[in-house]
Amino acid sequence: MNAVSAPLKIEARGLVKEYPGVRALNGADLTIEGGRIHGLLGKNGAGKSTIIKVLAGAVHPDEGEILVNGEPTSIPDPHAAGALGFAFAHQELMDVSNLTVAENVLLGLGYPTVAGSLVRTRAMRKQARQALDRLEADIDPAAPLASLSVAERRLVVIAHGLAADARMIVLDEPTASLTDSEIEHLDKVLRSLRNDGVAIVYVSHRLDEIFNLTDEVSVFRDGANVFEGKTAELSRAELIDRITGEKISVDVEARTPHVVAAEAPELLRVENMTLPGVVENVSFELKAGEMLGIAGLVGSGRTELMRLIFGADKSSAGEVYLRGEKQKIRTPRDGIEAGIVLLPEDRKGHGGVFTFSVRKNITLPSMPKFRLVGPAPFPSARREKAAARELVQRLEIKVPNVEHPARHLSGGNQQKMVLAKWLDTGADVFIFDEPTQGIDIGGKEDVYRLMTGLAERGKGVIFISSEFTELVGTCGRVLVMREGHLVAEFKGESITEETLVGACYEHDSEAAA
Amino acid sequence: MAETAAIHRSENANEGWESVGENQTVTEPPAGATNTAVASTPQREWGPIAANIAGKYGLLITFLLTIVVFCLLRPDTFATWDNAEAILTLAAPPMIMAVGLTVVLVMQDFDLSFGAMIGLAGGAVTTFIVSDGIGWGLAILMVLGIGVVVGILNGFMVAYLGGNSFIITLAMGTVLTGVEFALTGQDTVFQGLPLDFLDIASGSSILGFNNQIWIALGIIILAWLLMDRTELGRYMYAIGGNEEAARLSGLRVRPYRVIGFIAVGLAASIVGILMISLSGSYSPNGGATYLLPAFAAVFLGAAVFRPGEFNIPGTVIGVLFLGVIQTGLIMLNTESYVINLVQGGILIAAVLVSRLGQRA
Repeated sequence: MNAVSAPLKIEARGLVKEYPGVRALNGADLTIEGGRIHGLLGKNGAGKSTIIKVLAGAVHPDEGEILVNGEPTSIPDPHAAGALGFAFAHQELMDVSNLTVAENVLLGLGYPTVAGSLVRTRAMRKQARQALDRLEADIDPAAPLASLSVAERRLVVIAHGLAADARMIVLDEPTASLTDSEIEHLDKVLRSLRNDGVAIVYVSHRLDEIFNLTDEVSVFRDGANVFEGKTAELSRAELIDRITGEKISVDVEARTPHVVAAEAPELLRVENMTLPGVVENVSFELKAGEMLGIAGLVGSGRTELMRLIFGADKSSAGEVYLRGEKQKIRTPRDGIEAGIVLLPEDRKGHGGVFTFSVRKNITLPSMPKFRLVGPAPFPSARREKAAARELVQRLEIKVPNVEHPARHLSGGNQQKMVLAKWLDTGADVFIFDEPTQGIDIGGKEDVYRLMTGLAERGKGVIFISSEFTELVGTCGRVLVMREGHLVAEFKGESITEETLVGACYEHDSEAAA
Repeated sequence: MAETAAIHRSENANEGWESVGENQTVTEPPAGATNTAVASTPQREWGPIAANIAGKYGLLITFLLTIVVFCLLRPDTFATWDNAEAILTLAAPPMIMAVGLTVVLVMQDFDLSFGAMIGLAGGAVTTFIVSDGIGWGLAILMVLGIGVVVGILNGFMVAYLGGNSFIITLAMGTVLTGVEFALTGQDTVFQGLPLDFLDIASGSSILGFNNQIWIALGIIILAWLLMDRTELGRYMYAIGGNEEAARLSGLRVRPYRVIGFIAVGLAASIVGILMISLSGSYSPNGGATYLLPAFAAVFLGAAVFRPGEFNIPGTVIGVLFLGVIQTGLIMLNTESYVINLVQGGILIAAVLVSRLGQRA
């Protein structure tokens, strides 16, 4: 398949999808055309995902219709969506990791066979190779998928769309956990696909990407699109207003970073922290009331460093001092007892117990505080509820009651829940690893405010982020890690997106401390 | 899915806090979008509530209906006090075993060694008393000790050395059967057990129920308190829900997992001792028949009260349900293959129903 013969036009008109008590779609329209990159924006719950699921045949609308090149079309199931040439690359990578790259690229498309049953491995790899070549992806079709990086896996998913002759490719948050160079490559691939006439739908919370990549945008709010237009005609502030529906700017760039007084006492000191090949001889200190940013690419060792400090992994050398006192931290329990808490990067996998209610998540690390009588280890649900309610209010976690299952919370509220469980434990050092990933703009703003609030109360806050604008807008000091080493330190005015990016890529090493 | 409906109505109270791309457990209605007036139309209220009741109490209702049906079919034999006691007596050993097994399953570990452990416990207590002339009280303590040691070994190899619990405990079961045979020489023993020892299981006490029933009841209450009313139980459920999150929350994950295996080892020892006490004799490898019914009961139990989650009250219902069906079908003169078909079919249905509950 090369350039698609007829220009594709997909129109969704007046879609309504109602669940008991909730209108996920409320008269939504969407027009997607071949040869364009269409950005899809909106807060979590605005209806973006539902309309994508309608196009994928996973959800059936109660009202409204879908026109493909003017023809009313029904999409009863995912198979029908595939037959129409729609391909979907989801945020949670939907691929089979024990198969090879080639098997994944051609998954569900029919493998080339001998005598109708034996798979011709070589022919299959060749077909997969062709699809990967179009993406200029240097990936071995024979490699097991499990051996690939996240970025490469995403390319495999896109190659799958190409092999299926997809006319429309929908990408949901495709750049989450990709490095800048990987994102750049993905952008190139998407632009080239667009030039071939493929329609691209690009869902993202990252405004930079939307402005950088898309030709047009649709903004969803409350189940309907409230704006559709050319990206070039929009300003950043306008777009944010459309998403939030309020006339307030929540742009990080408008924020003032939290600066700690020079005479503030030292809270945490890390010396020569080492895990060979991952973290090399890292030393730094954190003051009480300081907000310290950690910049670095994925794989630079920033997450691993924090896990060593907290005790989640064992270091081979290095010391941690709290208020000048040397600590022996070998397990997370030791870290917590020393007063260090970690809000992990992988919120779903490590952050919360999602079979539990919000209340049980919040009280988990401090159960002995909620005992019924004396020292007997019998928890009082009443006391737990009272404490959980108070924290839910204080952090403005949106949940009908504290007994609600944690898994039904949005990303932002899950993050707040994970913070809530540490807030009253007497912890002094709060380490946030990518706390705003996958959270909508309003939620991000809340997280910044909570972090700054902790610093203002004299806690030490460490903030790891891949979105450097966040660090610029919130931190008074930023350390940069590259390949396991601490390579640069920036303070105050010298913290800009350019200096941070430069230090990450070694372009601007005279700033190194 | 009707069950999701109830949940999503309440979510409506706050809009926009259900993530979509991020939250993979929530697949169906993404997000509190707009509030709609339609939500409170009365006809729509009942479906979800009924589905919720069916999901939580379906097995309980089926269980009670089964009892009613058997009572109507055999009013003279089934609906009697004696029969109730017979069913409870029969159910007591699998009850103890299933309750112990629930603890380890809550933490997502498996223990397949308890069948052999029951056999070893039976063989050991018989040998200690009959051949070695040890007093029965001390013999019991020694056998309970063996159960604890086996639990610690299983737990250490699984939690500390990282062995796969399925394979480790399967292998451990084989080892234990070997120990049993070495200890007893595979000889069947018919005599030599003191009367006091035989009274442990079958001696009658309060309300005319025999001791075995009261022992089972005591263990149920202890296990329920442990799992649902103590910090330890909460930690165990947290480990089962997300082990890494539990560890990063400061829980000592590995010792708790070992405790789970100790619970199974202890339960198996008790069942082995009761088995010998009740029959007054020992025959080799007597515990193997307990393996499947115990798993069946615990998985059945995960379909009631807290669908998708192993829980002690559910396990109790599971054991009683299987017991009632077995006794009832025997009274109806059903052929034994039918009993197998019915029990197996119920287990499959229950496991699938509880999966539905989990997905909601």
